Amino acid sequence: MTTDTPAISTDNLTRRFGQLLAVDNVNLRVTAGQFFGFLGPNGAGKSTTIKMLTGLLAPTSGRIEILGRDLLADPVEVKRQIGVVPEGMALFGRLTGAEYLNFVGRMYGLGRTVASQRATELLEFMQLDSRPKTLVADYSHGMQKKLALAAAVIHGPRILFLDEPFEGVDAIASGTLKAMLQRMIARGATIFLTSHVLEIVERLCSHVAIIHRGQLVAQGSLEELRAGVQAQSAIASSNGEPSIAPAAPGEKLTLEELFLRIVGGSRISEGELSWLG
Amino acid sequence: MAGLSASSTLAAWPEIRDQFAAIAQLRWRIFINSTRTLRGRLEVVSWILMGFGFAALGLGGMFGLGAAAWFFVSHGQTEWLAAIFWGIFLYWQLFPVLATAFAESFDSANFLRFPLRYRSYFFIRMAYGALDPATLVASLWLLGILAGITVASPILLPWAALVLAAFAAFNMLLNRAVFAWIERWLARRKSREILGIVFFLLIISVQFIGPLIARYGHRAHHSFSTYSALVFSGERWFPPGLAAAALAHATHARHAAAVGVFGLLCLYIAACLWILDLRLRAQFQGEMISETIAPVSEGKRDKKTSARTGWDLPGVSGPVAAVFEKEIRYLSRSSPMIFTLLMPIVILLILRLDRAATAGARLHPSPHYHPIPFGVSAYAFPIGAAYALLILTNLIYNSLGADAGGVQLYYVAPVRFRDVLLGKNLIYAAVMVLQTVLIFVAATFMFGPTPLGIVLATLAALLFAAAVNFAVGDCLSLLSPKKIDLAVFGRQRSSGTTAFAGLGVQIVVFGLVAGSFAIAHFYAGLWLAVVLNLAFAAAALAGYAVLLGRIDNLARSRREAIISELLRA
Repeated sequence: MTTDTPAISTDNLTRRFGQLLAVDNVNLRVTAGQFFGFLGPNGAGKSTTIKMLTGLLAPTSGRIEILGRDLLADPVEVKRQIGVVPEGMALFGRLTGAEYLNFVGRMYGLGRTVASQRATELLEFMQLDSRPKTLVADYSHGMQKKLALAAAVIHGPRILFLDEPFEGVDAIASGTLKAMLQRMIARGATIFLTSHVLEIVERLCSHVAIIHRGQLVAQGSLEELRAGVQAQSAIASSNGEPSIAPAAPGEKLTLEELFLRIVGGSRISEGELSWLG
Repeated sequence: MAGLSASSTLAAWPEIRDQFAAIAQLRWRIFINSTRTLRGRLEVVSWILMGFGFAALGLGGMFGLGAAAWFFVSHGQTEWLAAIFWGIFLYWQLFPVLATAFAESFDSANFLRFPLRYRSYFFIRMAYGALDPATLVASLWLLGILAGITVASPILLPWAALVLAAFAAFNMLLNRAVFAWIERWLARRKSREILGIVFFLLIISVQFIGPLIARYGHRAHHSFSTYSALVFSGERWFPPGLAAAALAHATHARHAAAVGVFGLLCLYIAACLWILDLRLRAQFQGEMISETIAPVSEGKRDKKTSARTGWDLPGVSGPVAAVFEKEIRYLSRSSPMIFTLLMPIVILLILRLDRAATAGARLHPSPHYHPIPFGVSAYAFPIGAAYALLILTNLIYNSLGADAGGVQLYYVAPVRFRDVLLGKNLIYAAVMVLQTVLIFVAATFMFGPTPLGIVLATLAALLFAAAVNFAVGDCLSLLSPKKIDLAVFGRQRSSGTTAFAGLGVQIVVFGLVAGSFAIAHFYAGLWLAVVLNLAFAAAALAGYAVLLGRIDNLARSRREAIISELLRA
């Protein structure tokens, strides 16, 4: 892998479910060290894409390269380099937190001693060490999220994939998760996350991509996205098209505004749902 | 039960009817949608086959019990209907508890978010699962009894219909009340395990009744008749006895007594209704039993400890050892599973009691010399070992089921599925070895030493059966996984496809092994069975090795189906 090699890249990544084209020729480029937010409305193809990038789902066509390696050709080597918190968290309910982390560490090829040392450190960092005998099934949702993140990083991955890591997590647990992620970024890891909480993405991520109806509609840093939207607004208004509201000069759009302008949030028109209070 | 008055129920009927219709439509759509996949269609086929079994049970019982009812009534022995009613009562109440896979599991929270009145909720709870096999079969039996009584004495028809309807209502209400309370206990993992053990002991104790009566029955005629007189005098105060007494009094034209006894039966119905109402009202008012951890004070927290080092298994890779360790921990935390694995020893004990009871009748030594030993004593070890293997197939054929969402780890981690399944097969092999040793010791202790030839032939047969079952089990675990909780007995519907495929495999394996023993008997040389079974085992092991080498492809091609099935709530 050269210094120019992207951490994650896809070429015409496509996934069909029968007639439904869930992901349509997506070309992603994520540079190493980026905190990358992958956004999109519900059903846009975010989870399908992240599942393909992590080996949980086979693409219908296209190519995925992780750290310069072809995921489909060399899945085991790629998986050594990545950590994943999938949608269902992949927990084993009838193990304790320590046993679970130990198990995951060894599945990633760590030696017994290293796995147990790291498990101890991670439990302490995540403030999960006060209940060593409690089974994972008896953890609260927030504790399970923290444990899932701890498991995803136990082997020191260079890329971390997180599918909705902050969903259903309270502010305290969320703070711990963010602290862990920022520490990883500071040490040069790449983080790829999907989230519906745009405020968090805006605060954490340096770069974002937006997928809509299976197609990648925007990709770049937040500034690049703002510039793109401003330029598009200007063109649209000069053509007399009312669809995109022009941003005022000097106005700094939030990520939520950018998202809505790019994806086009639906608005209730006059007369629609008139029965609704 | 103010909310259940007749007038208010009638007033709310249109709303209740619409809600019933919506639920019926929902269930129909779920059924139709489930047939979109091949697996769903296979499940439907397996349920249809089971439906034939229940239909045979229901219709057979209907004619049989109808004939018995006709006999009792026409011979002036109507009070003997109590025996039939007790049988129906026990079936109606115990079958859904013991065979919970056939029962509907109801999550009241699903409906409570809708603006249901309490009476709608109550009737939905009553209707939900009312067409379960126990109710359908028992209702057919009662219809048969009604027909039998009517043929014997047509004048009894209206009264018999009323009494039998009341008896059916009592059973349905009691059944719902029992399930509503069980549902509450099953809401927590710990109580689930305790209840599982209670069920297990119940099942075992039922199996001991026959041998114990056979063994001790003849010694205790006097005390038995005393106890039975006590039981028979008491049973008439319970609903099955009351229903029979109400009919008997009517037969003998003792109308006041018949009405009085019927009134008592109605009191039982009211009591069940009240108990059920208590439970359902609590649920309706928002009782939520959470599995999540309860906050504890600082002083009560466990002592912080560092994570222990994982296990090391000589000769296998780290991931295989890790899977082995994880499986051991899962099994050791599943009390029901441990009890189930000990079941073969219990079966040997039952066989021992049965043998002792029937000694002299069936097992006295043959006057002719036979070079190969025969009988339960000689074959206790193979019988126990075969039973142990059968029980273990529950785990082998759905080895990913207990992992649930954790299965995703096997796909995102840099491991081969071959290693994961090898780790699981190793633990099953270890359990088999442990069970075989225990059964061998138990068989020797209970029945005397097993002949060496039979021991060796059995071990060779076990090797063969294990290899075949591991190979088929690995495939079925990937082809037809089903999420299960090792902490509970029943209440988790197994895959019909797996059940039928597993049955086919056992028929082939046991057929071949039995054939090898038959050939050995024919040629009067047990060593022949050893050689034959070793040959089968060698072929099966070769097949297993080939399959394990290719299992990654199957796992990869099935990953979406496996993950979506095991992630289901």
